[in-house]
Amino acid sequence: MHGPLWLILAFPLLGFLINGIFGNKFNRVTVSLVACGAVGISFVWSAVLFFRLIALPPESRIYVEKLFDWISAGKFNAAFSFYLDPLSALMILMVSGVGFLIHIYSHGYMGHDESYARYFSFLNLFTFSMLLLVLGANLLVLFVGWEGVGLCSYLLIGFWFTKKSASNAGKKAFIVNRIGDYGFLLGLFLIFVTFGTLNIAQITEQAPRLLASGGILVTIMTLLLFVGATGKSAQIPLYIWLPDAMEGPTPVSALIHAATMVTAGVYMMARMSALYMLAPLTMGIVAAIGALTAIFAATIALTQFDIKRVLAYSTISQLGYMFLACGVGAFGAGIFHLMTHAFFKALLFMGAGSVMHALSNEQDMRYMGGLKKKIPITFWTMLIATLAISGVPGFSGFFSKDEILWESFASPQGNILLWIIGVITAGLTALYMFRLIFMTFYGESRVKSHIEKHIHESPSVMTIPLIALAVLSVIGGYVGIPHLLDGSDRIGRFLEPSFAHFSESAIEGHHSAGTEWLFMIISVIIALTGIYIAYKMYIAKPELPVAFAKKFKGVYTVLYNKYYVDEFYGYTVVKPFIKLSRIMYNIFDRVIIDGSVNLIAYITEWTGEVLKWFQTGYVRHYIVTFMFGVVIILGYFIFR
Amino acid sequence: MQLAIFIIFAILCIFGSILVITLRSAVSSAIALVFVMCVIAGLFALVGALFVAALQVIVYAGAVMVLFLFIIMLLNLKEELISEDDKKFTRFLGIVLGTAFLFELAFFVRTALMRGSEALYEPVPKTLSSIAVISSELFTKFLFPFELTSVLLLIAIVGAILLAKKKNEK
Amino acid sequence: MIQIPNINISIIYPEIIIFITAVIILLVEIFSNGKKWYAQSIIALIGIIVSGYAVSNQWNSFASGFSEVLVADNFALMFKLIFLLGALLTVFLSIWYFRREEIQQGEYFFLILSSVIGMMILSSANELITAFLGLEVMSLPLYVLAGFDKKKLLSNEAALKYFIMGAFASGFLVYGITFIYGATGTTNFDKISMVISSRSFGIDPLLLLGFILILIGFSFKTAFVPFHSWVPDVYTGAPTPVTAFFSIGPKAAGFAILFRLIIKAFAPIGGSIIPILWILAVLTMTVGNLIALTQRNIKRMLAYSSIAHAGYLLISLVVGNGRGASAALFYLIAYTVMTVGAFGIVILLGEKGEKDLSINGYSGLAYRYPAAAVVMSLFMFSLAGIPPTAGFIGKFYIFSSAISKGFIWLAVIGIVNSVISVYYYLRVVVVMFMKPEIQAGRVVCFPVSLMVAIILAAIGVLQIGMFPQGWFEAVRYSLIGLF
Repeated sequence: MHGPLWLILAFPLLGFLINGIFGNKFNRVTVSLVACGAVGISFVWSAVLFFRLIALPPESRIYVEKLFDWISAGKFNAAFSFYLDPLSALMILMVSGVGFLIHIYSHGYMGHDESYARYFSFLNLFTFSMLLLVLGANLLVLFVGWEGVGLCSYLLIGFWFTKKSASNAGKKAFIVNRIGDYGFLLGLFLIFVTFGTLNIAQITEQAPRLLASGGILVTIMTLLLFVGATGKSAQIPLYIWLPDAMEGPTPVSALIHAATMVTAGVYMMARMSALYMLAPLTMGIVAAIGALTAIFAATIALTQFDIKRVLAYSTISQLGYMFLACGVGAFGAGIFHLMTHAFFKALLFMGAGSVMHALSNEQDMRYMGGLKKKIPITFWTMLIATLAISGVPGFSGFFSKDEILWESFASPQGNILLWIIGVITAGLTALYMFRLIFMTFYGESRVKSHIEKHIHESPSVMTIPLIALAVLSVIGGYVGIPHLLDGSDRIGRFLEPSFAHFSESAIEGHHSAGTEWLFMIISVIIALTGIYIAYKMYIAKPELPVAFAKKFKGVYTVLYNKYYVDEFYGYTVVKPFIKLSRIMYNIFDRVIIDGSVNLIAYITEWTGEVLKWFQTGYVRHYIVTFMFGVVIILGYFIFR
Repeated sequence: MQLAIFIIFAILCIFGSILVITLRSAVSSAIALVFVMCVIAGLFALVGALFVAALQVIVYAGAVMVLFLFIIMLLNLKEELISEDDKKFTRFLGIVLGTAFLFELAFFVRTALMRGSEALYEPVPKTLSSIAVISSELFTKFLFPFELTSVLLLIAIVGAILLAKKKNEK
Repeated sequence: MIQIPNINISIIYPEIIIFITAVIILLVEIFSNGKKWYAQSIIALIGIIVSGYAVSNQWNSFASGFSEVLVADNFALMFKLIFLLGALLTVFLSIWYFRREEIQQGEYFFLILSSVIGMMILSSANELITAFLGLEVMSLPLYVLAGFDKKKLLSNEAALKYFIMGAFASGFLVYGITFIYGATGTTNFDKISMVISSRSFGIDPLLLLGFILILIGFSFKTAFVPFHSWVPDVYTGAPTPVTAFFSIGPKAAGFAILFRLIIKAFAPIGGSIIPILWILAVLTMTVGNLIALTQRNIKRMLAYSSIAHAGYLLISLVVGNGRGASAALFYLIAYTVMTVGAFGIVILLGEKGEKDLSINGYSGLAYRYPAAAVVMSLFMFSLAGIPPTAGFIGKFYIFSSAISKGFIWLAVIGIVNSVISVYYYLRVVVVMFMKPEIQAGRVVCFPVSLMVAIILAAIGVLQIGMFPQGWFEAVRYSLIGLF
């Protein structure tokens, strides 16, 4: 009935293999055709499956496909199987759709790069892993996809590895993500120990029976999973890798670090909603972290000059919204925002890429300005995306963001404080996004003169995806018009079967339509205010920002330096860790036995003087360590 | 009477062992080892294991140690050279750890003796140490380990020849 | 009258086949002139394969022989297959290496094979003296192998150090055996276990002492911290294929005998040593990993990391039940293929004399030899335990066995450690893919034999990692009759 799900995965994998193995022998067009074709077919097939799913009555919209028994050891059983329900159907459609557009865009953007085939094979591998993550019917398959996207992200951030900053950024992303994965893996173990299975459907089904609501076990479990999500989805405190990840090619930033991979954490939490609904404490923490991240990243975005970094912090901030939604139990709203965000943020990144393309890879907004006439398509599409992200009524971001804001107040888990933070962030979002637009496209041109001559609109292979996404950024929201505006919230109802819900009794009282109107109007006003301030500061009185920066020098410096978080981690985590490892090296193997004299010889060893080694490897010292062990072990049995 | 002889032999054995590791000259050290082997043979004889005692003298003190001495003299070894840098500290640690190990062993043995009731601490019956019994054990119960030693010896011979062969002599 | 015991010689057919092969190789070395290195290597390979066939024929026979000093249960047979697999891959690694280093002496194969005999005996030993002799048959060739490259000072030094320390450790082992004999009057595992359970009160101190000393003796071979100090020097000094052999064979053999001791001979008092094993596991993992972090030489890094892997395996020993034993077997299979693969790449990329083995020497390798770099990354991922590789499933199996027995903290420490290890394994990948090339002149040739080893290992890593089902069943069947 549903046709094979594995076909969706097979094509990107095939594309990866073909380009990975033969890519160097193909010409560029063939490579692009293989890569785009693979994702394109995958998209078409996803769409077919999606519409077949929609055609079914809501209660039978679940389809499980088991490929083979992957691991079965004793009690432990994990089948390699896929799971299609409204949530994953929407996700595959989005991943393959946005992925397809970005693949096409990449053909233009990466046209001059030497490692063309390598780029596309990684991009295909990423698409495959992401689809695997989304479709996995048990947490182990999901985890494989989870690690796979992490790996591809690492490979693609460090794509231009000859640049030191790029390879460092790649490493940073990978290591920070491993910290998150550690929590995730522990969470998996705990779930397995509790449920005896990693099958998501079974966990969802058994959770209410096996776990006490609000119990310590479910709280720890969900918190551990959340740690994994903070790593992958760049939330406080593990967000630091995402801004650096902008070292990768811009389409990569658009695909991985805006539209798809970074949303994996949100997706995972929505998938495990049955567990989260049982852990109000975790939900509170998630909501708080989400709200904090949203406003925190938004303030940083205000002061950055690198166009991609502004967008990176903006992504972190928007992901904060999604977590806020999950934290108040509005998983549908979170996924809705995930989708609209994918459209407009991918568009913004690709627009930024188009700007950089026009300006010979200039990223600093201080050397832009006045581009409106010169690259009109880029300008108009980016403007649409900016209106969408700012929450201007009529554009997609308005619907999804408004739903989150309303839920953050109205849901049983919500409160007015979360709403206030959300609304302020909305204002800040409008402010920094229009700051970006104004600095880039309006005013006097500040472009360096030798670049000025070459400014040109991008080729159509790049602008067509921009236009397509612009259309989606406008209409994408209309699938979820809230009841208030006489809409039917189709996406909300579509996703409903995939999530756990608050019981009727938990929903206390009912907020009147008037309140909802009031809140919506306030948030719109604040967003418009943000746009107005941006206009005042960056067009009407361009000297104002400088004056502000001078007047509030302290605050400005802190913001400009991103609250010094990187430096903080450097001193509190990285350095002590390196020290500890050195200390262990010294104490355990050498100092106790060799005394301090030989230390010098070992420092020499670090510098790689191979010949010096055997001068210090005295057997008698080794024997002493040995005896030390013997004495301690025997001593244990005497004194125990 | 037996206890007195044991104590004398034990003290001689310890004394000899200390000489083995403290004497600087390799020849003197080896001779001290011969002495220790003989004393151990005496200890065996004391518990009635006459055959083992004889083997101890013939094989270890006789064959093996004579070969040792022979090689040492052949190679004309000088006093061993030990770099002085950290010798004292290591020696100190060695003495401390060695003593601690000794006391720990003593503790285990003492606890075992104090429990006392286990029958198996009695001396091995005299019949077990006769040549006939030992050889029948070797060729029945321990046939496999006994044969395995021949493989071990073959490996040892090949290994020794290999390491001793002059470089690239082909 | 002497009672002729039940000999049942058929249970040592695999060992006999290997021994005959080893002797033939030796005879070829003596009586034939000219080029015989390849002939000898092929003889060795044939011997290993035939022996493997003999082992698989014994599957499910549960025979014992030679007055019960040897048993051939599936557990022993599985270990024998692991040793033979390791030996097979090691031979493939060696053929070209020793040609490059110009030390093609046929005794090499003799030594490898005789060491394998020792391991096989160790895995099926059901008696302490046999176990001890098995250990010596295994170790003696290893001492010589460590010093096989006589031109290299480091290699000579490795041999001497390993020999002295090995003899020292053997002393503890034999001393322990005497205490066991004194306390129980037997050296047979079944009888020891019977005697212990028949005792009425408490644990006999001498028995405990003997057990601990025996454990220490074997801990030296498996390189648990703090009995590990020989590892870095010996691993660095020995010829690289020998290093690979060191890190798979003796380690697996050590675990085979440790498992048999803990779950069979000393099962009644096994619980008393769990705290010590627990601490050893934590120390071994942590110290191995943290020191590996600071290493710049790839062989030394792999040496310390092999200590860490022994630590993960120790977790399964702490667990000590069937689940732990099967996890250990699985991990050892995975560890064998991935380690051989990693060392294979090290050999492939080295030049004669292996003067420079620093990790930085691999800078930018991905430009020149992308395939080699990708395969090396695969092995590094597997060693680090990143899916979908064999290493990931192995670790998962071990940690989940620990959790199922309630050793949550041990599993947590293990996971923390494997996260730490990601850093230094990945550094190799980073250097290969993301640093500019420094040794532009390096020319690598791709000898067939070495390729066979590397490709087999790579396929193994992926196959075990993605389709572990069959392996799970194999290791589960190998525990039949043991518990």
